[in-house]
Amino acid sequence: MKTEKKANITTIPFLGDIILSGSRTLIGIALGLLTSGILIALSNANPLVAYGAMIKGAFGDIYAFCNVLVRVSPLLLGGMGVAIGNKAGIWNTGIEGYMYLGAIGSGLVAIQDWGLPSALHILLAVIAGMAFAAAWGLIPGYLRAHRGVNEVTCTIMLNYVAIYLTNWLVSDAGFFAESGAFFPMSKIFQDSAQLPILLRGTSLHPGVFVGIIVCLIFFFLLKYTPFGFRTRMLGGNPNAARYSGVDIKKQIILVMVLGAMLGGLGGAIEVIGLRHRVYSDFVTGVGYECIAVALLAGGNPVGVIFAGFFFAILKVGGATMSIETGVSSSMTSIIMALCVLFVIGVGLTDNHRVKKKSNKADAVAVVKQKEE
Amino acid sequence: MQEPKFALQMTDITKRFPGVLANDRISLDCKKGEVLGLLGENGAGKTTLMNVLYGMHQPDSGKILINEKEVEITSPSKAIELGIGMVHQHFKLVETLTVLENIVLGIPSNKVFLDLEPIRRRLLELCQEYELYVDPDAEVWKLPVGQQQWVEILKALYRNAQVLVLDEPTAVLTPSESDQLCRAIRRLTSEGRSIIFISHKLREVVEITDRVTIIRDGKLVGTIPTPEATQAKLAHMMVGRPVSIDRRPRQALQQKKPVLVMKDVNALDERGIQALKNFNLTVHAGEIVGVAGVDGNGQKELAECISGLKKPVSGTISVNDTLITDVVADPKFIGFIPEDRQKTGLVMDFSVAENLIIKEYDKEPYAEKRLLNLQNIKKHAQDMIKKYGIKTPTDTVKVSTLSGGNQQKVIIARELDSEPILDIACHPTRGLDMGAVSGVHDVLMKERERGAAVLFVSAELQEILALSDRIIVLFRGEIMGEVDGDTADAFTIGQLMLGQALEEKT
Repeated sequence: MKTEKKANITTIPFLGDIILSGSRTLIGIALGLLTSGILIALSNANPLVAYGAMIKGAFGDIYAFCNVLVRVSPLLLGGMGVAIGNKAGIWNTGIEGYMYLGAIGSGLVAIQDWGLPSALHILLAVIAGMAFAAAWGLIPGYLRAHRGVNEVTCTIMLNYVAIYLTNWLVSDAGFFAESGAFFPMSKIFQDSAQLPILLRGTSLHPGVFVGIIVCLIFFFLLKYTPFGFRTRMLGGNPNAARYSGVDIKKQIILVMVLGAMLGGLGGAIEVIGLRHRVYSDFVTGVGYECIAVALLAGGNPVGVIFAGFFFAILKVGGATMSIETGVSSSMTSIIMALCVLFVIGVGLTDNHRVKKKSNKADAVAVVKQKEE
Repeated sequence: MQEPKFALQMTDITKRFPGVLANDRISLDCKKGEVLGLLGENGAGKTTLMNVLYGMHQPDSGKILINEKEVEITSPSKAIELGIGMVHQHFKLVETLTVLENIVLGIPSNKVFLDLEPIRRRLLELCQEYELYVDPDAEVWKLPVGQQQWVEILKALYRNAQVLVLDEPTAVLTPSESDQLCRAIRRLTSEGRSIIFISHKLREVVEITDRVTIIRDGKLVGTIPTPEATQAKLAHMMVGRPVSIDRRPRQALQQKKPVLVMKDVNALDERGIQALKNFNLTVHAGEIVGVAGVDGNGQKELAECISGLKKPVSGTISVNDTLITDVVADPKFIGFIPEDRQKTGLVMDFSVAENLIIKEYDKEPYAEKRLLNLQNIKKHAQDMIKKYGIKTPTDTVKVSTLSGGNQQKVIIARELDSEPILDIACHPTRGLDMGAVSGVHDVLMKERERGAAVLFVSAELQEILALSDRIIVLFRGEIMGEVDGDTADAFTIGQLMLGQALEEKT
């Protein structure tokens, strides 16, 4: 009886989709947390206490929560960058690189004093960051569209190039690097190029709101515009897209470059909002976490918001958990990975079930039609 | 004791699935040494009935008798033990294993080590005996589909099947392979084995079978001896109303206004081999030009060049004096029913409504001010569903949940509703059952009457003969010959398909 009812809810378009995919994700996350709990217990800590510490670490006070908000910003932007690629059937795994390029681009603008008003300086820095990342994304985009090069290999390789390019810039490039620094870093950004702090005593900058707005914009773009239709068609069946007159090469490049720009925006906001310098290795895997965010979200822009927050909570709370219970700090990554795996796994089994059900529903419908 | 007369009797078989009565008191019987045809549209219940026979489903009621003794078939292995062999429409072979290994699979054995030699010898004997030659050591995925079919049949014969069920065996075969299959079937029946031959190609059923059992909507329509059956009669019984793929009556073309003009077109296929050679063709408004030929003689490239999906190496193609230089995705101009509906024609994950506008999503009224107008899209979908009789619960379900015939209707609605100047229909009836085929023919005839130029590509000669005003026959990328639709006969076209040019008439 209960399952009957659920089937009814899920047949409502949109709301049903959200309930179905949402519950699927929650089940996956629950299983992931459960399995991680076993691992935590194995490392001689009480899982409940550990998770309690994690929640306290993320929500314990306003500073802790601001920390979550700061951490979520690059995850939202980068996650959306990957997700838009997913929708088009492309694995844009170069977010790490785009973030470095975005940081370099905005850094080049931000370290100079142009005598501009702050808003304009920030805007210029952001635009420069996105432009640099876009140019970087053009490389795998072009290679994929016109030369058929696998975009995953290409973007991951380019990530390394981006990392070493950044390292060189912040250690040896005289015009950019801080001289005599204890750690490779760029010159400090001008005050006018730094994002405002929203809450005194924290490092909360507006990045998180930019991230949420961007996700909502892309939700709208994908669902309600011809651009979104084209993108989804490309992801659904590239042959059909070409047959329907879509310039699929152009669309592939466009989607890659858009993803790169979002990654670049994430990197730019990270440096002008939080770090105020470009450091070597400052992204440290966030770009790859963005891929997991998009996976967890199933490519859905609204899902990216939830998935991004989930990861940020794990990251911030995980540090507290590690301090309070002595569980290794790498446990956070393990929890993330397990949750993603379980969500994907549940999604797969669920798809089979839904397919079976809809086949059956179809058979019933056909029979009814015949009876009529 | 007298030798039993019937190899198989199924009496009053009823099988119910949740919400569906798949088999409703169906009876059939098959004598020793007989070929029984089992006819029915897609979804009529043929496959369910055969799955009951093969022990995959248990009937809710009814009896099965083998050699006139009642049996209970609880599993496929029980069925095999009873001498029932089944060749499924979709082969059940392990593609990465060799032919021999596939034969060995599932043979009960209590030995620890397999001795393949006697099995190989027996297999080669069987190949010889039935003229179904395959290399025992070839990996299955490397074999052409026709030979994979032989493997399935040999597998059943190796297990000494007395009743062999062939589910749409000719769907994947070339004409010469079909002949080979026919010879093997004759051979098998002469040894007293029985064949149940499932097909919806009426011509074959009439040629091969001794008797035909027809089912419709899960119920038995009747069983008739083949000599009393005509294709028209069988089609009528199968669909429940008179249908024909006979030649459609038509009025002669009044005036000749060229629409599609191809001049000296040369094109390559995907592998870079010449697929069209100095190709010249003109199709006029209000005529159907049938393109006959064995698959792979340039039909695909022809359609792709005209629709702009493929760029010819040289030559020009114009439609209504407009040169085709890029993909044409304007259904007011060219309506294109592609060869492979799932691979090219539809986005399977999209809804029916979305699939109906994949060529016009960015044009009014579906897009206004750079936004999709979801209301207009929905309204259009509901209009199309009604107008073209697309059987779907709603316009929001994924097109992948629809049956093949209804998927094709979605494509037809999209491509032809805007009344294009030129229609390209590539194998529009492939995989459809009789009722749907006749529906597609109606649509194409209406297009002709409307004044569209229609290019109709098909591998089914009968369909080409039924619809075409003119017939061109492709052979290795060239037009081997052109015949008038009214006077054409299958034999001449068959000759042309094999590459024998018409003799000059003196």
